[in-house]
Amino acid sequence: MPASAPSSGFAWTCPFCPLLCDDFALETDALVPVLRGSDCPRALAALARHARPPQAAQARVDGQPVALAQAIAEAAGRLAAWRQPLFGGLGTDIAGARALYRLAARTGAICDAADGDALMTGVRLQQDRGQFTTTLAELRARADLVVCMQTSVIERYPEFFRRCELDAPGGPRPALVFFGVPVPAGLPTGLEARALATSGDAFPQLQQLAALVALQRVPQASPALAELATQLRAARYAVLLWEPAALPSHALLWAEMLQRVVATLNRHTRASTLVLGGGDGAGSVNQVFTWLSGLPLRTRAGPDGLEHEPLRFGAARLLADHAVDGLLWLSTFDPSRLPPATPVPRIVLGPPAMARALPARRDEVFIPVATPGLNAAGHLMRTDGLVIVPLAAARDDGLVDAAHVLARLGERIGAAS
Amino acid sequence: MTTCRLRGARLFDPANQVDGQVRDIVMRDGRVIALDPRAAVDEEIDVRGSIAMAGGVDLHSHIGGGKVNLARLLMPQDHRRGIDPWPLPADPLELASCGHCAPGTLATGYRYAEMGYTSAFEPAMVASNARQAHMEMGDVPILDHGAYVMLGNDELFLQMLAAGEDPQRLRDYVGWTIHATKALGVKVVNPAGISAFKFNQRQLDVDERHVHWQVTPRQVVRALARAVHELGLAHPLHIHASNLGVAGNIESTLATIAALEGLPGHLTHVQFHSYGREGPRKFSSAALALAEAVDAHPNVSIDIGQILFGQTVTASGDTMRQAANADLASPRKWSGADIECDAGCGVVPFRYREQSYVNALQWTIGLELFLQVRDPWRVVLTTDHPNGAPFTSYPHLIRLLMDKPFRDEQLARLHPDVAAQSPLKDMARELTLYEIAIMTRAAPARLLGLADRGQLGVGAAADIAIYPEQGDAEAMFSRPSWVFKDGEPVVRDGRVVATPVGAVHVAVPQFDGGIEALVARRLGRPLGMHKRWAVIGHDELCTCCNGGRVLASACAPRSL
Repeated sequence: MPASAPSSGFAWTCPFCPLLCDDFALETDALVPVLRGSDCPRALAALARHARPPQAAQARVDGQPVALAQAIAEAAGRLAAWRQPLFGGLGTDIAGARALYRLAARTGAICDAADGDALMTGVRLQQDRGQFTTTLAELRARADLVVCMQTSVIERYPEFFRRCELDAPGGPRPALVFFGVPVPAGLPTGLEARALATSGDAFPQLQQLAALVALQRVPQASPALAELATQLRAARYAVLLWEPAALPSHALLWAEMLQRVVATLNRHTRASTLVLGGGDGAGSVNQVFTWLSGLPLRTRAGPDGLEHEPLRFGAARLLADHAVDGLLWLSTFDPSRLPPATPVPRIVLGPPAMARALPARRDEVFIPVATPGLNAAGHLMRTDGLVIVPLAAARDDGLVDAAHVLARLGERIGAAS
Repeated sequence: MTTCRLRGARLFDPANQVDGQVRDIVMRDGRVIALDPRAAVDEEIDVRGSIAMAGGVDLHSHIGGGKVNLARLLMPQDHRRGIDPWPLPADPLELASCGHCAPGTLATGYRYAEMGYTSAFEPAMVASNARQAHMEMGDVPILDHGAYVMLGNDELFLQMLAAGEDPQRLRDYVGWTIHATKALGVKVVNPAGISAFKFNQRQLDVDERHVHWQVTPRQVVRALARAVHELGLAHPLHIHASNLGVAGNIESTLATIAALEGLPGHLTHVQFHSYGREGPRKFSSAALALAEAVDAHPNVSIDIGQILFGQTVTASGDTMRQAANADLASPRKWSGADIECDAGCGVVPFRYREQSYVNALQWTIGLELFLQVRDPWRVVLTTDHPNGAPFTSYPHLIRLLMDKPFRDEQLARLHPDVAAQSPLKDMARELTLYEIAIMTRAAPARLLGLADRGQLGVGAAADIAIYPEQGDAEAMFSRPSWVFKDGEPVVRDGRVVATPVGAVHVAVPQFDGGIEALVARRLGRPLGMHKRWAVIGHDELCTCCNGGRVLASACAPRSL
């Protein structure tokens, strides 16, 4: 049950996970904001990382405190000199992403989100096969069977079932199945679930399930899988939940097989998938880059044109291959999400708390920026990828927006060239 | 306050009955002004040997919103040139952006402006996705824009209709939705059919009942047309009729016109809704039947949704019909979504082939419609970008309409049965520049209630395209020598020279605020649109639209 009713405090939309829960309240008088209406561990942990800064945030150049304008000027000069910049992290909102694309297009930077591998699973699925998806309200209204594919859901999305009101008394109460993982502890009261295919990699079982759903002959089929296949075929509206970050390395095979199951079901009944992911701004940035340029992340405006490389342009690979000579790291939501340890020079934009975790070093500019949904307004895309939710500032810490810093970097680089 | 005179072009300005006469156009402060021809100006541009028209107005083009972005993601092959990457723009003013049938928003703005278009309207904004639609349109440089919000498949409307709610309440709900989403108009897509598909209904004709709500598309069309009329919106209800793409669907289209009972309605991409089931293949042109119906119903306007051959991607709110067509996808992949008890979408790549009997017939049906409807003021030139073809094919389409020998040449390349039997070969009509100016400028602006756009009378916005005159209409409309947006040059000799942020057109209807209580009861739950952010405010709209101006049209309520 929620820890306390959201009776007092700031009516808040939580920006710290892509469910973007909007039924909570926040009290911001205390050093650490107090969450009302939820005991979501993910939100609580995020808020604990965003204690009110004890003093005015300070930009740094090579470990030395400097004024904001000086840090921006220094960062612009360094960025302009890099031959192949990498923009990593990408933890920002839509305004930040709009400014970031303009900067990336001007500098030829390669852009990859902190959770780029998981994000690319969804992107490549859409590029290769397409998908049938649903949204939170649709799931609540319609689902009579929800299958959580290889994800406990609540480990990383603790509010999910409450958010979709699947625990509501008198609500629709769809059948709930965990596939490939055990039934997690801590489900909301009243939710009953069963689990199957819980030992090891469940991909072979998923293949079998796809065959059973398609009424193909499967020798020695698992009775549990056969039962689930029957249940899926009988459901009026089944939803397969999946979480790219929770899948093994062959995530794309998983994703395509899930879509095959849903496509088969949609021949005679209704079914859909819902993805859990794209948090920390990654989903929003990917959408913005796609609409501005036509191409998603892991793209650069390089000498040969707009090059999109969903595998080769992964940040970890580029850094390991010494293929980039500078890293601009952006993480406005999570101060603990530090840039990867790399010898290449860095420009880091993050909340003030990040400065304390970043060991001072040469070749680094740090610029403190605001967190949309906490101390700045903004917009984020929800996990279902079709609803953009506005965020309001719950407190004023006197910080600039990342979008502002990125735009000024672009202006300086544009003026210099 | 600088004045600029465009000297010596032949002007085609149908809203002011100017048909090719040589007229100077003088601009000041973004407006067309009257000035003595001898009076001095700050700048004079010699445009003799050219034709001048108002900037083009595209009233139906899928330029922004969730399904458009899904189309971009679905089509990586549209964003490279074979195995090579898409080259960077040669023009330093342009930011890298690419795509042919699913271009990025930046490329969308550049390419439209390069053809002399200065406004484009997204016809299928999902209410729960309205912010994204406005953001994407705000990121289309140069063009003014606006959107029609989709209604008639949202559960709240269907529930109210099923409950026999007072038409005034329905009107207020429609008004509130326009207000909340900052729409310019209202569109209905496959009335009640998108919702029905969520209940596993696979077909819904005009008088069939939605399996759950038990309402018919006829009731939905009638109720929405009445609400739009009573609210006083300039643009009639924008209707994507039932049974898109289905052989014999002309009956549904004519029934939809009848459902309006004389109220204004704009039937969109009618090419996809004008099919008979005659002949050996049970698929035939019903263009004449539709043209006659349009002629007979002065309350009806249309846009065509012409198909042109080649690769495209179809992006529609019509989940029911897109799911049915998904097996025809080329390449074989597609995406669909059920959205927020509100709407849906389906994105299906498609390659129209000259040698396909069906595609060839679709091509002829579109052209037959253009050439057979008598009143050009009720016909708008569209390809339903990108569903029939990308908007960049407009110059080619214009040549097809203006040049009978060219049209015959193209017809001869099609599937032989179509080439031999189509009535198109006997249609001698060639549209004039005056008629093209109506269908691409004056009529769409009038149908949208944009009094100062689509025309170049005194006081009009100085959105102007200058095309050096030449015999080949395709070449001419591909490359204006000048394009002005609100009086400022944005294109010079086919090259973008400025990228201002466009304005957003919104309608401001009056409605009984009491409806908000009902909506809040419905929406004020922990998901769906939270009542706290269900309405996009003026300032937020500006943020979404990249700081562009908000051009609000007041609506004068009307009675039946």
